[in-house]
Amino acid sequence: MKKDKNNRLNDWEKKFVKEVKIEASNEFSYETDEGISINPLYTSEDLLNYEFNDVNSLPGEWPYTRGPKASMYTNRPWTIRQYAGFSTAEESNKFYRKNLEAGQMGLSVAFDLPTHRGYDSDDEIVMGDVGKAGVAIDSVEDMKILFDGIPLEKMSVSMTMNGAVLPVLAAFIVAGEEQGLDKKVLSGTIQNDILKEFMVRNTYIYPPEPSMRIVADIIEYTANEMPKFNSISISGYHMQEAGANNVQELAFTLADGMEYVRAAMSKGLAVDDFAPRLSFFFAIGTDFFMEIAKLRAARTLWARIMQDFGAKDEKSLTLRTHCQTSGVSLTEKDPYNNIVRTSYEALSAILGGTQSLHTNSFDEAIALPTEFSSRIARNTQLILQNETGVTNTVDPLAGSYFVEKLTEDMCSAAWKIIEEVEEMGGMTKAVAAGMPKLSIEESATKKQAKIDSGKRIVVGVNKFKNPKEPKIDVLVIDNEKVREDQIKKITILKEKRNNDLLREKLSIITEAAKNKKGNLLELCVEAIRARGTVGEVSKALEDAFGRHYATNLGVSGVYGKFFEKDDKFMAIQNKINNFEKENGRRPRVLIVKMGQDGHDRGAKIVATSFADLGFDIDMGPLFQSPKDVAKDAIENDVHAIGVSTLAAGHKTLVPELMKQLKALDKSNKIIVFVGGVIPEQDYQFLYDNEVSAIFGPGTSILDSAEKVIELISKK
Amino acid sequence: MKELKDRIVAGERAAIAKAITLVESSREEDIQQSHELISQLIKSPGHAIRVGFSGPPGVGKSTFIESFGTFLVNKNFKLGVLAIDPSSNFTGGSILGDKTRMSEISKNDNTFIRSTPSRGSLGGIAVGTREAAIILDAAGYDYIFIETVGVGQSEITAANLVDIFTLIVGPGSGDELQGIKKGITEYADLFIVNKNDGDLAAQASKTASDYKSALSFYNKESNTLDTQVVLVSSVENKGMDLVLDAYNQITETNKNSSEFQNRRKNQLSYWLEEEVRNKILLKLDKDREISKKIANEVTKIISGDTGFYTASQAIIDTFLDKNK
Repeated sequence: MKKDKNNRLNDWEKKFVKEVKIEASNEFSYETDEGISINPLYTSEDLLNYEFNDVNSLPGEWPYTRGPKASMYTNRPWTIRQYAGFSTAEESNKFYRKNLEAGQMGLSVAFDLPTHRGYDSDDEIVMGDVGKAGVAIDSVEDMKILFDGIPLEKMSVSMTMNGAVLPVLAAFIVAGEEQGLDKKVLSGTIQNDILKEFMVRNTYIYPPEPSMRIVADIIEYTANEMPKFNSISISGYHMQEAGANNVQELAFTLADGMEYVRAAMSKGLAVDDFAPRLSFFFAIGTDFFMEIAKLRAARTLWARIMQDFGAKDEKSLTLRTHCQTSGVSLTEKDPYNNIVRTSYEALSAILGGTQSLHTNSFDEAIALPTEFSSRIARNTQLILQNETGVTNTVDPLAGSYFVEKLTEDMCSAAWKIIEEVEEMGGMTKAVAAGMPKLSIEESATKKQAKIDSGKRIVVGVNKFKNPKEPKIDVLVIDNEKVREDQIKKITILKEKRNNDLLREKLSIITEAAKNKKGNLLELCVEAIRARGTVGEVSKALEDAFGRHYATNLGVSGVYGKFFEKDDKFMAIQNKINNFEKENGRRPRVLIVKMGQDGHDRGAKIVATSFADLGFDIDMGPLFQSPKDVAKDAIENDVHAIGVSTLAAGHKTLVPELMKQLKALDKSNKIIVFVGGVIPEQDYQFLYDNEVSAIFGPGTSILDSAEKVIELISKK
Repeated sequence: MKELKDRIVAGERAAIAKAITLVESSREEDIQQSHELISQLIKSPGHAIRVGFSGPPGVGKSTFIESFGTFLVNKNFKLGVLAIDPSSNFTGGSILGDKTRMSEISKNDNTFIRSTPSRGSLGGIAVGTREAAIILDAAGYDYIFIETVGVGQSEITAANLVDIFTLIVGPGSGDELQGIKKGITEYADLFIVNKNDGDLAAQASKTASDYKSALSFYNKESNTLDTQVVLVSSVENKGMDLVLDAYNQITETNKNSSEFQNRRKNQLSYWLEEEVRNKILLKLDKDREISKKIANEVTKIISGDTGFYTASQAIIDTFLDKNK
């Protein structure tokens, strides 16, 4: 005989508490980083009373929780889109051609740091950055080499570009033009998401307001001239990479989206004229179900948001997204584990219904991917598409009590943040006030503290360590060579062109930027066609807009809270207090980023947690040169400098820093330690250059702090 | 010490930095050495004008210094900045982030920028700030900026460190106006209203005129200029020439009326008194016999054997007797 449901639930509860030896089953619920509590059991009761999610909806139907399209992968699987950039246009071109032969239908361009920041390769300021993290593009000539032999009318091109978005997109248009193609046939996506740059990635050039005008001009131009081109990819990816939890990533990304919609509408465009070509980009980390729920929640909320903007076209209402597996979840320790992590993350993205996917290479925590690691990354997706059967039915997790409830919980948690942002007057204002940045930094610091305190397990890092770490080959870039070659190309370009014509085109850009008149992309196309460089066009805009310098706010006290009465934490505090007694001041450490690499999550976390431990921390501005850092260090008489590096600039920048320190004080005793993404092959090189300690990704902050205070005390 | 002094006078960056560490140090032997160093340096003074900046958090003090500092170094002045950073957290460590707002001037060869955690001492002023200014003066800097956070009493302490004292305020709702008490106007030579840009421009200029009319009610001593109000935008670099003009005027007027020299003399007496007071307090705090006596007297007051004022006098007498 069947008992009624309540009785059965009571029975289950009794069994449960007996098995796990606790008082009540809700004692067992788990609180996620997002503050969402996960119960040990979900039942059909959990499908009731939803405000956002409609569990009876179908794929391709309002509110699109189950997918933007009716058929999803049953008709065509997601697009495998691997982001890659070698240092030069020539090498990247070879790589693209090879991938196309291997069955890849879209290609994705990563640019080097100077290009992102609008500097030419011959600019002194970017000495250590050329060819780092992607391809150096100085002019349309480089762009033409990049796409040589690649039919741009057939190939969809995705470009990760935000800061120098105008000259780079212009160069793409002119490169197509000189292949004999009308811009109408060009297809692809440009990231063009400047708001998140101010929050996390820091590859902006101009202040927030003029930057928003650039975004709007690009949306306007592509809406009128390039019907197959997605004018913006609204990205949460970098937020999660910087430590945002999934609710923050979701909420701030959608709030960014709303701001871009408003910017475009301010240009007089009707919402359905451009909204169908807005696309999104999310990170997929290791929290398996949360990531699935995030994508479902994103579609659900976006439909509601767009309806409020008056969208009618179904394509405006549906959120389409690219996803990339998490880079920050990869570990330097026991790196082959990363293949497994990436596989689960990829599965998560697919069960969430992504439209395209990049899977990371397992060595990305250490260096840029090699051909070998890239192949495994791509094969991860090919196996999922061809061997696992995940493409045979649409949204296989729909109806799961847990997944549906989690989707609803994500929706309401994110909606709260979105409302908060709206109250501040939208994302441009919230960003200018530093609100999203601070809350993301707080989350990042908490995550790190959970790992360092062992409250969260990372296999191979704080538990189940591999006693015999494998050695792996990494890609080495000869930055000097790339820079020399680029400089040669710039010199030739400048000799051949008509300088008078270019000067005129550039001054028109500056004027239009100042007067808030005209479409800046249209004007940049003309300057690029006249062989202006990325740096020159960026400068013409800078003359009107100025360059933006971020102020470095920071959180405090967040890390320390996780270590109340922790023995190791207190032992380090004691050492620091003793140091102060003996030396008349606290140990003082300057934490810096050098060069054009703007990823400052690591630097921020180290700064705030070191301060919680009792260090005095000097926080350097972003984008400092080694010379600036040396001056800062000497003037503040610091005991140590911590260099955070994530973009392979360490081999140029660290030796230069040492030289500059000696120039200011040849008998200086400053300890230099380096943290971030550094291949083991480079360790000896750094030690030879008098670096005292190197901390790879996954190093516990406590371990590094202990080492630093020890090194300082010895000197 | 002689060698360190010579290197400072020669303007050597590392020597200046080490000397500032020395004057900030709490280690006994460092304190001795710093006294010796300062008495040597004070014999060969430079020509620096010391300017103080105070104001509530968030009004853009560092950003103003970045903008005005750039303006000065472009005119070939040498600029020293002593930034007192209030951010000290519960463990005693701190994050000194002021320099992130001064990225342009911190690169310049003609600047020396030093941040110091305030550690809550002296209401926003750090130990050794006065001495650090003496060091930078001896090293040949033309202007020395002292940036402090405005918290209550600190304005008065900060004002006693400088030749010209500036209050920076933002476009306000008028709440700050109530903060203009007679005390502060006596110290402030200049009010700078920042953020005269973008959405806030109208509000900023209204705030400036409100300050002007509020200040007109206070009569300053006849040998100084009336407190001026200048409207600036640090992000758009507007009004920097007006600030420099104001400083030049103030300096000239004060020098002509001897106010400039008198202030320095009065400040010396202020700091001498502070030093004496601090030494006595330190001695009192560390005296275990006195702490015992206090405990005894408390028991006696409670049991009715003595009165509050009699007890306090008895304690003072004991202390003075001991230290005869």
